[in-house]
Amino acid sequence: MTFRRRVRTIYGKELVDLLRDRRTLIAMIVVPIFLYPVLMLGSLQAITVQTQALGQRAIIVAGLGGADGPQAASLAHLQHEYDRIRALEPSATPASKTPAASSEPAPGDAPAAAVEDSAASPPPLQLSWTPCASVEEIGQCVRDRSAHVGVVFEEALTFSPDRRNRIRILYDREEPRSATAHARLEDVIARVAARINDERREALRLPATYFDPFEVTATNLASPSSILGQILPLILVLMTITGAIYPAIDITAGERERGTLETILACPVPVIDLIVGKFLVVTTIAILGAALNLGSVCATVYFGGFNELIAVAGQGIPYGQLVLILLCLIPFAVLMSAIMMAVCSYARTFKEAQNYVTPVILAVLIPGGFAALPATELRGMMLVVPVGNMVLLTRELLIGAPVGTSELLTVLLSTTLYASAAVAVAAKVFGKESVVFADVESLRSTFDRRLIQPSPRPSLTMALVVTAVLFPAWFFLQSWLQSTRGAEDGLGALRRTFAAMPVMFVVVPALVAVYWKVDLRVAFGLGSARVGAWVGAVLLGMSSWIVARELVVFQHNWFGMSELAADSAAALERLLRDLSPVELVLMLGLIPAVCEEALFRGFLLGAMRSGVRKMTAIAASAAVFAVFHFILAKLPVTFLLGAMLGWVCWTTRSILPGVVVHFLHNSILTLSAAHREWFSFLPQPQEGAQDHLPAGVVLPAIAIFTAGCVLIGRSAPKATGGSAA
Amino acid sequence: MVVADNLVKSFPVAGGQKRAVDGLSFRVARGEIFGLLGPNGAGKTTTLRMLSGMILPTSGSARLAGYDVATQPFEVKRVLGFLTANTGLYLRLTPRELLQYFAELHGMDRPAARRRAEHLVNWLDMREFADLRCGSLSTGQRQRVNIGRVLVADPPVLVMDEPTLGLDVISNRLILDFIRRAGDEGKTILLSTHYLDEAELLCDRIGFLHHGRLIAEGTLEELQRRTGLSRLSAIFLKLAAEGAEATAPAGAVS
Repeated sequence: MTFRRRVRTIYGKELVDLLRDRRTLIAMIVVPIFLYPVLMLGSLQAITVQTQALGQRAIIVAGLGGADGPQAASLAHLQHEYDRIRALEPSATPASKTPAASSEPAPGDAPAAAVEDSAASPPPLQLSWTPCASVEEIGQCVRDRSAHVGVVFEEALTFSPDRRNRIRILYDREEPRSATAHARLEDVIARVAARINDERREALRLPATYFDPFEVTATNLASPSSILGQILPLILVLMTITGAIYPAIDITAGERERGTLETILACPVPVIDLIVGKFLVVTTIAILGAALNLGSVCATVYFGGFNELIAVAGQGIPYGQLVLILLCLIPFAVLMSAIMMAVCSYARTFKEAQNYVTPVILAVLIPGGFAALPATELRGMMLVVPVGNMVLLTRELLIGAPVGTSELLTVLLSTTLYASAAVAVAAKVFGKESVVFADVESLRSTFDRRLIQPSPRPSLTMALVVTAVLFPAWFFLQSWLQSTRGAEDGLGALRRTFAAMPVMFVVVPALVAVYWKVDLRVAFGLGSARVGAWVGAVLLGMSSWIVARELVVFQHNWFGMSELAADSAAALERLLRDLSPVELVLMLGLIPAVCEEALFRGFLLGAMRSGVRKMTAIAASAAVFAVFHFILAKLPVTFLLGAMLGWVCWTTRSILPGVVVHFLHNSILTLSAAHREWFSFLPQPQEGAQDHLPAGVVLPAIAIFTAGCVLIGRSAPKATGGSAA
Repeated sequence: MVVADNLVKSFPVAGGQKRAVDGLSFRVARGEIFGLLGPNGAGKTTTLRMLSGMILPTSGSARLAGYDVATQPFEVKRVLGFLTANTGLYLRLTPRELLQYFAELHGMDRPAARRRAEHLVNWLDMREFADLRCGSLSTGQRQRVNIGRVLVADPPVLVMDEPTLGLDVISNRLILDFIRRAGDEGKTILLSTHYLDEAELLCDRIGFLHHGRLIAEGTLEELQRRTGLSRLSAIFLKLAAEGAEATAPAGAVS
């Protein structure tokens, strides 16, 4: 039975098993289908109804004197005028009179309950009079909320052209009903004033422009920071996570609790097949959940008419990008499924797994919630913050904002890196004897140092987790170092960055290795190499920089170079000229050579020696090496350099020849950039920096490079079980 | 058929290693029912898990039907059926689906797995409930499904870890009948239990496990002769006391 067939069998069974579970169906189908309509339609309708109710409710007005006094009569006069205006509007429905304030019914009055307001016509107005003896008493009525507003007319209301009616309104801005009543009264007065102005202008036969010399139209082109547009991506991401939780618990802790785990382990099925089958099911359900959530969001927005609430004004949801959003959610679903499976594998019961999952969700909510804030943008550190980057990417795609290729790739690559580490952890945890048979203290046996068994080299899981943690940490540290005081000179930032490199790339993995009782000499591949390997390394280092330079020129000439990349390269060259040659060689030659070889070729590639094929291991470590450089334009050449260094390390079973290659490569390359005068055969800037080197330089370099490869290839240790990397 | 040679299994504990199984050696011939007896914590389950290829021995070796448990765990799993009283079923699958699933895991293609499941459904008289979900079955019906699962690949060796623990009388009888019938059919059976009367009833030979060590081994008659006692429980208590005097507990931290 092949791996694929076994995985397919396990996958099929687990999927059927889960889909027959009511709880999965509720979490995966019912919640997404009902959540968004309820959330969007329900809450918005509730707000609208409440606002309408507030607008249509009678305004309780506190005023001086009784309902038949002059102040009440002035208010009634105002309302009468307002009702007259409403009657003149084409779609207006006249308001009912207020029982106390209106002395005369307005023509065409209708019950307030029957009033259906429209956007074009002024809304109906109902007023209720509360008599007061003084202005202080009016203020007290408003404060104790027995009246919504207080109104004081200085004189009886009249619409004579030579009189200005002075009206004082008392209200409480903090009290919604009072604030609404105040706004309504202001609106009524403004409408009445505008109508009277129009009538007077028409009587004098003056044009409309007489009083209104401007007509301004402003169009807002910015993305609206609507609440729905901001929170929907977070909800989408959270629902993807939620989709993974239940199946992850059910097929790990649930399986153990039901007593079926031992049964399945007694079958002739490798644990890795089992974990792959189960993991694919969790991922499938998480992705299905994400797709259903996305579909539900879009259906609600489309059929509910909420386009303007979620996307860029006038554009609506970019439905064409939905597939892209879903594709972006796949690595995220993989990441969360693996995390959930790893966490739940430690649990002995369903309930225990739920307890373990809670802090994970909280940990996810922090970056997710931060990313959902309107001011947070998809750039800088946020590109590599797990969960946060996905919330932001989803938001940008959902509102149709432009997302650059490099941003998209950075988010996807970093998420893929985290997902790989999480999958490795999940596989390791699930297959662990002490975890499978929970009668041994499983969680302790992983983290309690006294229970950890010494091992010669780091496990793949350990290496991947360390690398995945270092990736954002190194990104944050670099950003922070470049933004702190003294960074303006550029040189200070560069020095601090390279000073931090040994701590991040060597000390951190070394501490992890020491804690888990890993042999440091083996972990970092510090074994000796044969003489031929050293000679070959020198030849490679002397020539690889020319090959790399030619590749870069080839890439630039064929695919172009962005202005930003060109500016960065020029700025770096200027910085390098300010360094002394010794400092330059130490800082850009030696430190990266030692640190990067230790981490990528020693720790990471060394961990892949057991269980991963040579080419896969070299390619994977080279990809991680390239991604760690954070520059998209350099990705191809750093990958190839990483692959070459990986091959050197794998062949010689030591990182030391690779350190020599890396050191010579970096040193000569940076010296040639900083001191062109020493390299007369290089094209000078005025001749064009993108020119190929003369064949008289390139061909010998290729010959030396080939000789170096041959020498290294012949220097492989004869014994396969050496002590080196 | 089953050979254990100086098997040791240690688990890490604070400050060192705890030996759950300490130098265990025994042999079980083809068609024999061998009872591994001992109190809780004697190392019975750990021994059976090692012999089933589920966990690796710390040292020593074991072979099952000629296959090494450490280096050929999948071959070992192909020739054994594993059953415990706590064995659960996939409650949302039907017995027919469950049997077919395990048949496929044992390497049968889908049509062959379907035929095998059908055969077991008929043979174990499960037609009445073969298409109901396991979650709705009675304990006795579930045990029958479990027996079907154990026999799905018709293995020559059966490993049973306390198969009657906590079962009611009817389910208990079902399991005991199954063991007897399997023994009659020539299957090699390794049975762990601390119900001594069951061992007396079923086993051809008996091994007493105490603190991870085999303190005695033989047929019931041999053990009776050696101790001068007739009841298995009395024999065990006497041997355990002698063993405790003779050796320090194997569970000591090394």
